[in-house]
Amino acid sequence: MIPQDRFRGLFHKYLLALFVAVAIPLAFNGVIEAWFGYRDQRARLDQWLSLQSASAAAEIHDFIHGITSQLGWLVQLPWSDEFDERRRTDALRLLRQAPAIVSLTLLDGNGLERLYISRIGLNRIESRTDRSADPALVGARAAQIWFSDVSYNRGSEPYLTVGIAGNRPAVGAVIAEVNLKLIWDVISAIKVGRTGSAFVLDRSGRLIAHPDISLVLRGAEEATSKPFRAVRDAIGSKAGFATSRDAQGHYVAASAAPVQGPDWTVVVVQPLSEAYAPIYSALWRTAMLLAISTMLAGILAYALAHRMTEPIKLLEEGTERIGAGSFDHRISIHTGDEFQRLANSFNRMASELALAQQHQERIAKLKRFLAPQVADLVDRAGDDSVLDGRRTEVVVVFCDLRGFTAFSAGAAPEDVMSVLSEYYESLGRVIAKFEATLINFSGDGLMVLVNAPVPVEEPALRAIDLAVDMQTNVQALIAGWRSRGYHVGFGIGLASGPATVGRIGYEDRLDYTAIGSVVNLAARLCASAADKEILIDAKVAADVKGRRPVEDLGGREIKGFDEAIPVFGISFDALSPSGRGMSGTIR
Amino acid sequence: MAGAATWTTVSYGQKPSMPVIGYLCPESPELFGSRLEAFRQGLEEAGFVEGRNVAIDFQWANGQYSRLPALAAELVARNVDLIVAPGGAPVALAAKATGTTKTIVFEMGGDPVQLRVVDSLSRPGGNITGVSSLSVDVSPKRLELMRDLLPTATRLAVVANPTSPTAPSQLQKLQAAAEALRVQLQIYSASKEDEFESVFAAVARDGPGGVVFTSDPYFAFRSRRLAALAMKYQLPAITQTRDFPVAGGLMSYGGDFMQSHHRAGIYAGRILSGEKPSDLPVQLVTKVELVVNLKAAKLLGHPFSAAVIAGADEVIE
Repeated sequence: MIPQDRFRGLFHKYLLALFVAVAIPLAFNGVIEAWFGYRDQRARLDQWLSLQSASAAAEIHDFIHGITSQLGWLVQLPWSDEFDERRRTDALRLLRQAPAIVSLTLLDGNGLERLYISRIGLNRIESRTDRSADPALVGARAAQIWFSDVSYNRGSEPYLTVGIAGNRPAVGAVIAEVNLKLIWDVISAIKVGRTGSAFVLDRSGRLIAHPDISLVLRGAEEATSKPFRAVRDAIGSKAGFATSRDAQGHYVAASAAPVQGPDWTVVVVQPLSEAYAPIYSALWRTAMLLAISTMLAGILAYALAHRMTEPIKLLEEGTERIGAGSFDHRISIHTGDEFQRLANSFNRMASELALAQQHQERIAKLKRFLAPQVADLVDRAGDDSVLDGRRTEVVVVFCDLRGFTAFSAGAAPEDVMSVLSEYYESLGRVIAKFEATLINFSGDGLMVLVNAPVPVEEPALRAIDLAVDMQTNVQALIAGWRSRGYHVGFGIGLASGPATVGRIGYEDRLDYTAIGSVVNLAARLCASAADKEILIDAKVAADVKGRRPVEDLGGREIKGFDEAIPVFGISFDALSPSGRGMSGTIR
Repeated sequence: MAGAATWTTVSYGQKPSMPVIGYLCPESPELFGSRLEAFRQGLEEAGFVEGRNVAIDFQWANGQYSRLPALAAELVARNVDLIVAPGGAPVALAAKATGTTKTIVFEMGGDPVQLRVVDSLSRPGGNITGVSSLSVDVSPKRLELMRDLLPTATRLAVVANPTSPTAPSQLQKLQAAAEALRVQLQIYSASKEDEFESVFAAVARDGPGGVVFTSDPYFAFRSRRLAALAMKYQLPAITQTRDFPVAGGLMSYGGDFMQSHHRAGIYAGRILSGEKPSDLPVQLVTKVELVVNLKAAKLLGHPFSAAVIAGADEVIE
C-alpha cells in the first residue's frame, strides 16, 4: 500500500507541474491578448461612434442647410415700390419644394412686410407692417442667417424660425417658420449599427428630433427630454464615447456631434450590448480558447505524467517481484532513455541474483556432506567442480555401535532415539572438528571420508586422530549408557587407498560418495573391530608409523578378501585425547 | 339594429388570443377602400397584419352618420381590444360618447382639442389619441384660393353640413377670412346627397361665382357626385379632398388623408403592442396638398394663375 501511495503522489506532482508549466503561459497569453483586444475594440468603437455622430450631424445640417439655401433665393433682388407677382410665385414654389416650411415672410430693405405666405393661414400681400424690430430680422441683419430657439406649435410640434438677410439691405430679408417634425424623415433614416439610433437636442437640451415621433410631439415636456439630456451631459465635452442609460434604463454607448447654425447637438446611441458585442465575443473567444487549451494542457500533462510514471511504476513492481524472489521476472521498458537503462540494470541484477541463488542452493546441498569449513571454502571458490568424479587417495573411516541391534530390539523407541541422538551429536562434532567428509549414516553405522573432496595434509594421521577422538567421545557416552543399563560398544575401521569419488544420485537427492575396495576394506575392518577397538590397514599404519602408537595385530581373515590381511590397531587408551589438536591444516 | 350592415372578418380558426380591432367606419367599404388600405399599411409597419396576428371587426355606417353611436356601442358590447374611429369628428365623438375604457384611435380633419376629444395635442389624456389632417383648419385657405381664381367676384358660395360638429367654427373662420379677402359669403347647407343638386342649382341661380365646400367627411366621400354637379352647373368649386379634382372637379386643398390614415394605423399597432394612449401625442399631418385640374379650369373658362400652378402639389391635365 505504501509504495502505491508514493506512486500516486509522484504522478500528481508530475501532473501538476506539467499542467502549470503549460497552462500558466497560456493563461498569461490569453489575458494579455484579451486586454489588448479590449482596448483595440474600444478604440474602434469610439472611432466608429464618432463617425456615426458626425455623419448624423451632417445629415441634420443638410436638412437645415437645404432650407436656408432655398430661402436664400428669395433674397436676391432689390425691392421696388410695386409688388412683383413673381415673388409670390417663387414663394409658393418654395413652399412646395420645402415641405417643412410652414410660412414665409418677405421683408423689404426697410423692414416692412411685403409678402406673407402660409400653408394654413391666409396669405398677406403688401401689408407693409413694420417688422424692423422683429428679432428674426435683427438677427438676420447681424449674422445673415439667424436661428430662433425651438418653440412648440400648440404645445406639441417643434417649430424653428429662420431669418435670412440678403447680401445688401435693398434685397430685404426672409423669415420662415420651419416645422421640425419633418426632421423625422432624416432622423428615422439614420441607423447606428443594427439597433442604434440618433436624436437631436436643441441648445437648452430639449428633444427636437427622435425616431419615435410621439416623444418629440410631447413638446417642451421636461420629463421627456430629461433622459436624453442626461445622455448628452454624460458625453460632455470629453473626447470619445460615453456610456449612459436611455429613457428605458438600458445602458447605451453614446457619442455626440454639434450641428452648426441652430446650435443643436446630435447624439447617436447604440445599446451597450450591441456596441460591446465584438468586445464580448472577442473575450468569449479568448475564454473559450483558454478553456480548450487548458483542457489540452490537462490532457497533455496527464499523458506526459503517465508516460513518466508508468516506467517508474513498472520498475517499482519489477523490483518488488524480484525482491520477493521472482528472479526470472524481467522489467520490460522500451522508452529509449534512462528508464530503459535502469530497467536493464535491474534485469541484469535479477539474473545475477538468480545465479547467486542457484549457487547458494548448491552450496546448501554441499553443506550436507561437507564439513562447514570445507563447504564455505567451496562456496567462496564459487565452484563446485571439486565435487566432480575423480580417482584419488582417500582414507575411509567406518564406525558403528556393537550390540545396538539387540539393544534397540529390547529398549523403548524413545530410548533408542535418545541414544542415537546423543551418539550422532557427538560424532558430528568430531567430524566437523577434523574437517572430514560425512558420506552417509544408516542406523548406528557411519562412513566418513578424509582427503576428499578437499585434499588435506597427512590424511592418515588426521583419520587416526579422528578415530581416536570418536572412540574417546563415544566411550564416554557408553559409560553413561551403561549406568542406565544399555549395553553397547563402539568400533572403528580405517583403510587408505585409491577410490573413485564424486557425486551420485539425482536432482535434489545428490550424495557424495567413494567407490573402491578401500571402502569395502574399511567397512570390513569396522565390522571386525571389537568395542573400544580401532582397526587400521597396513597403509594407514605405515603412514602414521612412529607418530602414533600402532600395534600390529597380525593377519586377519576379512570377509570379502581371499587372503588374510595384515591388520593394525591403535589403543585409544594409550592416546590422551586431550591436549592434542589437529596436526594438519586444510589446504 | 335591423339590417345593421355589420361585416366582420373574424373567421373560424383564428387564435383566441388574437387582439381584435373594432373599426368604426362612417361610409361603405367601397368609398373607404383607399383609406382602409393606408390604415392597414400603417398597422403592418407597427407589426400587425389582419388575419395573422390581429382581427378587425368592421362596423359600416354606409353614410348614415346618425347610426354611428349605435355602431360604436355595438363594438363596445363586443368587447374589442381597441376602437379605431377614422373619417372625421362625428366618428371620434360617437366612439368617445360610448364611455368605453378601451383605447380609441381617431382620424379626423378637425381640431381634436377644440372638439374636446382630447385635452391637449402633446398629452391627449384619457384613453383616446389619433391623427388630425388639418383639413378643417385650412377652410379659409380654400376661400383664398377661390378668391385668387376669381379676383373680380364679390360674392362666393360656401357649402356647409349643418350636422357636422365642426361646421360652426369653420363658418366663423370663413367669415373672418372673407372680411380680409373683401368678399361676401353666401352660405348653403347640405347634409344629404340628394340635397347637393339643389344647392348647385341655387348657387347657379343666385349668382356667386365660385363654391367653397367646408371640410366635411360626408362631402369628401361624395367627391365624384360633387365634381359631376359642379361641371354640370359650370361652377368653379373647391373641396378638401383630392378625390374631387381627380374626379373632374376644379381643385382641392386639404390634408393628405393617406398620411393621416397611415399614421392612425401605426398608432393602432403601437397601442396593440402595449403603449399607453396618453403617451402618444395627437399627430397633425405634415402635408397639406393643393391639387388642381387644368382640364376643368379650361372647361370652366377660369385659367389658374402661374403662382397657383407653381404652388400646386399635383396638377391634373
